[in-house]
Amino acid sequence: MSFSGALAGGFVGTLVLTTLLRAASELRLTRIDLPFLLGTIVTADRLRAKAIGYLLHFFFGFFFALGYYAVFRALGRAGWFLGAALGLVHGVFTASALVNVLLPVVHPRMGTPLSTIDSETLIEPPGFLMLNYGRGSPLASLVAHVAYGALVGGLSALGH
Amino acid sequence: MTRAYPPIRDYAAIGDGRTVALIARDGSVDWLCLPDLDSPSVFGALLDAPRGGRATLAPDVPHRAERRYLPGTNVLETIFTASEGTVRVTEALNLPGPGLGPQRELARRIEGLSGNVPMVWSVAARFNYGRGRTRIGWRSGTPVVAAGNQAISVCTWDAGRPVVAGEAIFGHFDAEPGSRALVALCTAEQEPLVFPSRAEVDERLDHTVTRWQRWGRSSGYGGPWQDAVARSALALKLLFHAPSGAVAASATTSLPEEVGGVRNWDYRFCWVRDSAFILNALLQLGFMTEVDAFFWWLMQASQLTHPRLQVLYRLNGGASATERTLAWEGYRRSAPVRIGNGAVDQLQLDVYGDLFQTAWLYSRSGRQLDRDIGRRLEAMANLVCDVWARPDSGIWEVRSQPRHFTQSKMMCWVALDRAVRLAGAGQIPATYVRRWREEAAAVRAFIDERCWSEAKGSYVRAASADDLDASLLLGVLFGFVDPRSQRAGGTIDAIRRELGHGPFLYRYSGEDGLDGGEGAFLTCSFWLVDALARAGRTGEATELMEELLGLANDVGLYAEEVDPDTGEFLGNFPQGLTHLALINAAVAVDEGQRR
Repeated sequence: MSFSGALAGGFVGTLVLTTLLRAASELRLTRIDLPFLLGTIVTADRLRAKAIGYLLHFFFGFFFALGYYAVFRALGRAGWFLGAALGLVHGVFTASALVNVLLPVVHPRMGTPLSTIDSETLIEPPGFLMLNYGRGSPLASLVAHVAYGALVGGLSALGH
Repeated sequence: MTRAYPPIRDYAAIGDGRTVALIARDGSVDWLCLPDLDSPSVFGALLDAPRGGRATLAPDVPHRAERRYLPGTNVLETIFTASEGTVRVTEALNLPGPGLGPQRELARRIEGLSGNVPMVWSVAARFNYGRGRTRIGWRSGTPVVAAGNQAISVCTWDAGRPVVAGEAIFGHFDAEPGSRALVALCTAEQEPLVFPSRAEVDERLDHTVTRWQRWGRSSGYGGPWQDAVARSALALKLLFHAPSGAVAASATTSLPEEVGGVRNWDYRFCWVRDSAFILNALLQLGFMTEVDAFFWWLMQASQLTHPRLQVLYRLNGGASATERTLAWEGYRRSAPVRIGNGAVDQLQLDVYGDLFQTAWLYSRSGRQLDRDIGRRLEAMANLVCDVWARPDSGIWEVRSQPRHFTQSKMMCWVALDRAVRLAGAGQIPATYVRRWREEAAAVRAFIDERCWSEAKGSYVRAASADDLDASLLLGVLFGFVDPRSQRAGGTIDAIRRELGHGPFLYRYSGEDGLDGGEGAFLTCSFWLVDALARAGRTGEATELMEELLGLANDVGLYAEEVDPDTGEFLGNFPQGLTHLALINAAVAVDEGQRR
């Protein structure tokens, strides 16, 4: 098991996750745009938001990879399947709590059940399982996170 | 009961440099593609009233409507007058302002002027040409319509409580003196929706007026028809695809050239043929930013198929335009409704002349062609030498067998002539200049010997043919024939005599491989004005120009064609080529009058 493998997994996994979500969007399954959601926490400028959003997205990709690595260390093993299983948990957590509940709390421009449209510009909240962004959102997000987890797990294990 | 199709003449267009909405006189947005002009429609009642989808806004009582664009803008103002009072609706596809705004924003401001007028609005979105399954939900009290990766939020302020009924959202309210309501359709594709505040939508609408006025002020035309030229420039700007610089031929697909007929085409592409007219008009009006953007888009798009030129390219520069049909009934049952354009695969030799004329105009404006473009143009000129003798489908994209169309040969001559001139100006390599000169002479000999009719005293549509073709006027406009020569005069007169119908011209006589007929082609009438002015017949040109300017609809827009008997607009709308021809004709007459 290797730390650098986990970091590499975080990088490649984030690339793949982003690509899968984009592909799902192209296939008309979802309107999830994580870089847009993250970038608009920082700025109201669309172009800048996308650029900053990608940076933040990769930062979080590394951050979660470290979390995965900590779990692998605690379990004393890593691998593609274990990573995928963690990715599944991660995906469920993301759709049900992280993006749905926590993001609206910290996002200065995101609507909550309490906000009204008279207040200021608001970004559409994701809703439970991100269903507001399209019915294919939970599936797309889950598949992307499983792929992410598998890559982090697999690449972490390559350090043996 | 399904609403009847409004006349094409009843539409006004608004846009934001990405897409265009067509709004009927009755306040119904019957055409809007999202996110871009060449994307699938969300409101398509223009082509299928029951199933296409639309967004309405009008008094809920009998009324009449008067419209205009706010001066110097593409912002539409409609005054609805009912026995109960008067209401003003100001609407635009908002241009982005500072801060985070929706991807696209259609804003409709409703102001009560007098009396108490009951108003009703509705939104029935049908995504992906009506093929998407529409779902309506709510976000913090705001209705949202979504399908696949697209969504529209219907944000309203003082416009009544939104109510969902079936697959549509409705609202009723009363417009009283001093009241101000707002309906904004905010759209998103592949991203979460952005819900703006009322103040922001209002501010962006005002900002949109200012931005359009600022753009329009940079026009350099000072002739007698300033209003018509300014409106044409604004109409043209609607068809500009802001991210690339391409100019769509029109905002619509499949508005019929004959009601009930099959001549229904998708014009949401950029035709190489239009390039010389586009560049000439932009240069005449002094829109240099657009000149550069368009020229570089053209060079980039045509690189994909180099040295061969496609007839048309996608607005993003792509080369694919596969033609399909939609299961829609079509405007007044004019089926099929086509998306994509099969003409993309045709051989149309005239486009080479248009491209070289464009490059020549660009170079003459003081711009420098880089070496890479110079080499590409050189290869293209050599290609013209190889292919000019082939039969082709011609400027009108006929679907009959290829022929030796005279105008195609004339434009091959233009291509080689401009290549020689560009080489002389040091803009392209001069290695093959001798070959280009020899081939140009051969093209001219072919035309003069085989495409001239002594009996008619005119050039004819194709080699050894008796038919006429209004596109032969381009031989005068592009300098193939001296405008004051006997041959030019004879051709102008013959076209007017045989293809004319009052101020109108039909495109051609003879077969074209399609069933049915079509209206008169407005562009050709403006070409006739241009040709007359160049021939020194400015009196005739001015008279015809005045007559043609009277044919625009109430907001100054033109379609592709017109029924000479009824004055009804036909074909796609608004039509860029008609407005381009208007601008170029106005400039030509102005120059003719000053000579």
